[in-house]
Amino acid sequence: MSELKNKTMQEKDLKKVSAMSKIGKIVVMVLLYAFLITMAVIVIFPFYFMLISSVKTLEEYQRSIPTLWPEVIRLSNYVEAFNTGNLGRLFVNTMIVGIVSTLLSLVITVLSAFAFARLEFKGKNALFAALLGTMMIPGELFTITNYATVNDFGWMNTYTVLIVPFLVSIFYIYLLRQNFMQIPNELYLAAKVDGTSDIKYLWKVMIPLALPTLISITILKMMGAWNSYVWPRLVANEEAYQLITNGLRNAFTDVDGNANIPVQMAAVAIVSFPLFLVFIFLRKYIMKGVSRSGIKG
Amino acid sequence: MVESKHSWKAWIYLAPAIVLLLIFTVWPIINTLRMAFLEGYSTMGAVGGATYEFGIGNFKQVLEYKDFLTCLGNTMLLCVLTVPISTILALLIAVCLNAIKPLQRLLQTIFFLPYVTNSIAIGMVFAAMFNMVGSAFGGENELIITAGIINNVLGFFGMDPVNWINAGSSYGANMVVMVVYIVWNALPFKILILLGGLQSINKQYYDAAKVDGTSRRRVFTRITVPLLSPMLAYVVITDFIGGFKEYSSIVGIFGEDMGPTGDPRRLNTMVGFIYDALANHQGRASAAALILFGIIFVVTLINLYVSKKKTHY
Amino acid sequence: MKKRFVALFLAVIMCLPLFLLVGCNNKKTAAGDFVVPEEGFDTSKEITITFYHTMGANLREVLDKYIPEFNKLYPNIKIEHKQVGSYDDVRDQIKTEITVGNQPNIAYCYPDHVALYNLAKAVVPLDSLIDSTVEVKRDDGTTEVLGLTDEQKADFIKGYYEEGKQFGDGKMYTLPLSKSTEVLYYNKTFFDQHGLKVPTTWDEMEKVCEQIKKIDPDSIPLGYDSEANWFITMCEQQGSDYTSATGDHFLFDNEQNRAFVTRFRDWYQKGYVTTKELSGGYTSDLFKMDPNEKGNSYMCIGSSAGASYQRPAKTGDKYLFQVDITTVPQVDPKNPKVISQGPSLCIFNKADPQEVLASWLFVEFLTTTPAFQADFSMTSGYVPVIKSAAEDAIYKSDFLELADGGDYIQALSVKVGLQQEAAYYTSPAFNGSSVARDQVGLLMQQCLSSKTDDVAKMIKKAFEDAIAECKYQAG
Repeated sequence: MSELKNKTMQEKDLKKVSAMSKIGKIVVMVLLYAFLITMAVIVIFPFYFMLISSVKTLEEYQRSIPTLWPEVIRLSNYVEAFNTGNLGRLFVNTMIVGIVSTLLSLVITVLSAFAFARLEFKGKNALFAALLGTMMIPGELFTITNYATVNDFGWMNTYTVLIVPFLVSIFYIYLLRQNFMQIPNELYLAAKVDGTSDIKYLWKVMIPLALPTLISITILKMMGAWNSYVWPRLVANEEAYQLITNGLRNAFTDVDGNANIPVQMAAVAIVSFPLFLVFIFLRKYIMKGVSRSGIKG
Repeated sequence: MVESKHSWKAWIYLAPAIVLLLIFTVWPIINTLRMAFLEGYSTMGAVGGATYEFGIGNFKQVLEYKDFLTCLGNTMLLCVLTVPISTILALLIAVCLNAIKPLQRLLQTIFFLPYVTNSIAIGMVFAAMFNMVGSAFGGENELIITAGIINNVLGFFGMDPVNWINAGSSYGANMVVMVVYIVWNALPFKILILLGGLQSINKQYYDAAKVDGTSRRRVFTRITVPLLSPMLAYVVITDFIGGFKEYSSIVGIFGEDMGPTGDPRRLNTMVGFIYDALANHQGRASAAALILFGIIFVVTLINLYVSKKKTHY
Repeated sequence: MKKRFVALFLAVIMCLPLFLLVGCNNKKTAAGDFVVPEEGFDTSKEITITFYHTMGANLREVLDKYIPEFNKLYPNIKIEHKQVGSYDDVRDQIKTEITVGNQPNIAYCYPDHVALYNLAKAVVPLDSLIDSTVEVKRDDGTTEVLGLTDEQKADFIKGYYEEGKQFGDGKMYTLPLSKSTEVLYYNKTFFDQHGLKVPTTWDEMEKVCEQIKKIDPDSIPLGYDSEANWFITMCEQQGSDYTSATGDHFLFDNEQNRAFVTRFRDWYQKGYVTTKELSGGYTSDLFKMDPNEKGNSYMCIGSSAGASYQRPAKTGDKYLFQVDITTVPQVDPKNPKVISQGPSLCIFNKADPQEVLASWLFVEFLTTTPAFQADFSMTSGYVPVIKSAAEDAIYKSDFLELADGGDYIQALSVKVGLQQEAAYYTSPAFNGSSVARDQVGLLMQQCLSSKTDDVAKMIKKAFEDAIAECKYQAG
């Protein structure tokens, strides 16, 4: 709007220059949109390809000149994918692991962040620095030993093994600590004077104030469960405990993976669908969460 | 004044995190060091009663292995290619998004979509788009049954089909596919952060530039980029660290063979190398993990050093 | 920075007790040969046996049908079986379980799995059990000898039985449960129509491919599913070295092997042949295609157990073309060699010898009971491991005698599998034998498809690389 106003003002003042800059502006805008829309199409194309392929017949999919819109929409691919891939089981597993680990992780994160943000104790800064230092070490290095550890604990092929080892995220603690620090200390001291307990203060004041960050952490953690691949593959090879990503890869590539790509695509679409839903409904929080995690100076 | 009173309390709050960290973070670091320096260590052998001597044999084996340099080279090349490409593209898209009003929200949502997808799942979609079915590709008796959608698009523009990922495909073609996929994957996060950064730049700078009649390009290089430099530094550093851990994107496209048919492990990376060794040669895997840590550490230090010099706060 | 290091150091110190704790946790598994207790099998004690396998739902049904039969003889042995996933999943699962000492009693196995488990000395050598003459009382009042009788031993198809002894130490570790082999499927309609001769040797195969390529240039005459099987079978047929269970394991880099690889590269380049990996899908998909389409095959070498996947589409009650099955081409048809694949059973060490005895009794029951073997074969399409299974009345009338290239194609492949009984070979098994198998498969893919001007040099290098990789992986 302000640009438009600017334009009219300029037109009144300098007719010659304004004509040129007007054309220039339009050209720039056209180029901008052309670029953005081209990129958007490229970004979205794999999704489109996935969706149309998932409803094609195998015969139509295999044609040397592919159709950009399916001739017959074959929804039975979805039924087949759901049954072949045993996706129901995988969904349930992923949900269980996602929800339980998110809840526990939130509790641990809140308590730790609170300790680091509000309480004073010896070696606080040194400990915090050491924790941050571990973030730089590649996780693969931990995998080797954790594999042996959970084995010794007898946790192979349980939900525990998928949940417990990754409950602590230093990154989330860091994130939440920064958020807690922004809450004025006076509030805490006033609460102390009133005789409010730490837990009550945490629950009544800090958590509500840091709610956006907590929701962001929840979503990122859930997405993590949805996307995890390497660790579950190592420790949960039993179908009863497999997560969605592993099942997907195994169900359609090992046995007759190359035989029916449309069904495979249907499976991928089924798996991606809940993430889309979450995204559409919680878009604001995810974006906030991700960009907040980014700007950490 | 509250310090001494709360000291024990703080440790209670921290207890769950510390216990878990000791078991699943600190102990692994110690144990990795131990396994890495026991010659030829394997857990199966250890169960069978074998004993292992202290030494640097694992490191030697890893470094002398013929594919080690391939893994290192692939990892580096992917980093060097994808980090700049995705950063520049993301910057361009973010700047453009910031400059428009209509459709901004919609486009922003579209650009963020890849972030919420399952990377292995979308890898399968990419693989299917590039996949070709047939025989003797590139030979005299080539027989293509299905060329794949990307090739059909190329054909529409009058280009010859390219063997992207199948038997007989070239390393260059494989790399193009990987770079496209990794950049595609990296874009949403970067766009989001850079856009967030752009929106927080004070409008006054631009207004001042407008009054001075500064050209668009100058505004971009003299105002936008410098003011955005903390975010740029952040995305570049995290992307480099992530890039050195590249693994699942390659599994997504090429499967666990980490290469096209006829040339497995051609695209293997450092992390892939570690996982290969992890099954039966835990000592070797530990040594490789330590080497990778060393590399990431050095690269991050360099990155920090450079960005400190170039970043304006 | 300094503070950070101090903190890390403190954390390390704090962890030392933990280090000791976990470090001492590794249990040792019992080692050495199994000694059959003098008092024999205790029929009064309740024993639970766990059995890991890869059986799908319909095979589990067969197993569930025969467990009660077994329990009629030994009511005190409770069998708990579970499908763990694929063969690799079974191996990985057991491998990790061995490290904490809670492996199952019985498992489906491939020879290289046994070699791996034996690094931890976890598998029971069967010799003392097979030779045992201790009598066991069954619940139906009869008695049996614990070991195998001479008739029982002779009833096994020899090649299958010998597989249990391929570990280089002379001991027997496995009994075969059910086997498959590779067979040549061909489009009989097409062969009859053009008066082509079904190839029995590789020379004839080359000729037929040439003829087919002339008739239908848009076809790939032959599909060979498994590159690794192809390589190993060729070594066996021409008597060249592949691997050895003792000494220097990896012997496959030799003149004769490079020669056949060079030859097959030529075939691939001429468009005569393709493989599973090279075509991007099971070659049965090409074989059962409509011959009028581009890229179909007229012959396919694949697993005998997968016969039903080789059948073309059916319109009405007629198949698109008729399939026939025969033995794979040979170097020397008078001395044929065909691969044997499929699961064997191994028994794991346990602290209680009675558990091992109970496991053995169940393994013996599964492998030597003709009715079970026949039933299992009919459901799975695998070849029974004992000859007497073929005498089973129902198996004969409802399966083998109905064999044809259409509805009963599975029976036809089993029949071919039984006929070539004398031709089965087994490869040496050792820790790393599966690496060799993987490597020769990859080597075939590479040598057939690589683009190069100097073929001899490329092949030489591929062989050297494969050997180096084997040594690295196994070392």
